[in-house]
Amino acid sequence: MVVPVGESVTLRQTVTYAVREALSGAGEPVVHFVAPVAWHDIGDVAAGVREETETLLDRVAVWAREDGDDDLVVETTVIGADTYLFGPDDYARVIANYADDGIERVVVDPQYSPGGNVPILRPMEAALTERGLAVEEAPVDRPTRRGRLLRRGGALQFATLFGISFLFYQLLGGFAGTGFDVATGAVSATLVAAMLHRITFTDRLHLPTLGRQLVRLVAYVPYLLYEIVVSNLRVAYVILHPSLPIEPRMVETECAVWGGMPLTLLANSITLTPGTLTVRVHGRRMMVHTLTPAAREGLFDGALERAVRFVFYGRPALAVATPRERDDARIVEGDDGADDADSGETVVTGPAGGDA
Amino acid sequence: MDVTPLEVAVVGFLLGGVFFTFVTAVGVIRLPDVYARAHTASQTDTLGAGLTLIAVALVLGLETTTVKTVLLVAFIFVTNPTAAHAIARAAHEEDIEPWREDR
Repeated sequence: MVVPVGESVTLRQTVTYAVREALSGAGEPVVHFVAPVAWHDIGDVAAGVREETETLLDRVAVWAREDGDDDLVVETTVIGADTYLFGPDDYARVIANYADDGIERVVVDPQYSPGGNVPILRPMEAALTERGLAVEEAPVDRPTRRGRLLRRGGALQFATLFGISFLFYQLLGGFAGTGFDVATGAVSATLVAAMLHRITFTDRLHLPTLGRQLVRLVAYVPYLLYEIVVSNLRVAYVILHPSLPIEPRMVETECAVWGGMPLTLLANSITLTPGTLTVRVHGRRMMVHTLTPAAREGLFDGALERAVRFVFYGRPALAVATPRERDDARIVEGDDGADDADSGETVVTGPAGGDA
Repeated sequence: MDVTPLEVAVVGFLLGGVFFTFVTAVGVIRLPDVYARAHTASQTDTLGAGLTLIAVALVLGLETTTVKTVLLVAFIFVTNPTAAHAIARAAHEEDIEPWREDR
């Protein structure tokens, strides 16, 4: 059987259950513990998380040997490192791929939350069942919490959110420092933090990383403003030109950023610069409407993408091929719209400039 | 009549804001379809409102209200692309084909 593992309070019990089931079942007792990757191979976020995952797997292996006997075979593997895990289907896919050679049973820790705060355990189980695997949740003492959005709230999250809210309140009050301001600010910030600290931060909160990202974000703003001014002038020229020289095209690009915040920042920055407009985002594939060839070239050169990578992943992430070089950007040639209407699929042809 | 450099700067930023708002108005009328119009609508919000609010901040000088003006720009910069994206996405879900010059 295969057991996907991640940091959770009931992991120990899940390991015990899986080992017992493996030993009591017919055939050779083998348990595969797999840890889907929760990092991306770039910048300063990755190294620590990778190490944690490997430590976790080592710990699980030790526990399994404690519970099992000499016949038990324990395998631990990190899976999904070559692909981007975004939704429940992605997790189900890598687990099913792993299970491909002869494993039919999946034991799931009911407290396991591969998506951080995003509730994807249930849909992942459904997707695994669809792929023909027998899925069961390990019976653990601690009952499964129903509010799946509320997870991993901790003192650190609470304190951070409280601090931000309190500072913002004082900022609006002009840092008057009166007793009234401080008291009402503290009450408001407590309310905000109490209600939202479990859903505000989706990734694990690491204050030094967060601080570095904030500093780099401040550096990013002037650059973004520059881009906005330049493209504003370009679009103003096009609009005021008597012959209105526009060549609108839908463009599809696979971005080299991962996760909610980086994608949001990139998509919003693309939309903020006139001439490019984000229409859809699927995972990290973005569909962008571009007004002029110049705007398209800018997008294919990936300047904004590189800047966003810098904000979130630091200086090393600046070294990335442009979307054009990666072959990750193409012009979408809509066919006559009849058959791609229902499936949501679009017909994609050729590289930039290859008109159908 | 005395004109301080500050006043010149304020009028300059205001004129810039008015110019980009004007361009947007022209763009919304001239551009062919919903996607193209969403492009230019973001211009008013970014440079149109941005330059105008810079002028406002300059007039106010160093005050609490100035901070709020800057925050206003920040919030516009977050909400504007969100709205533009929502419109474009809605259009795309309705299977509206983008206008092309060669069809």
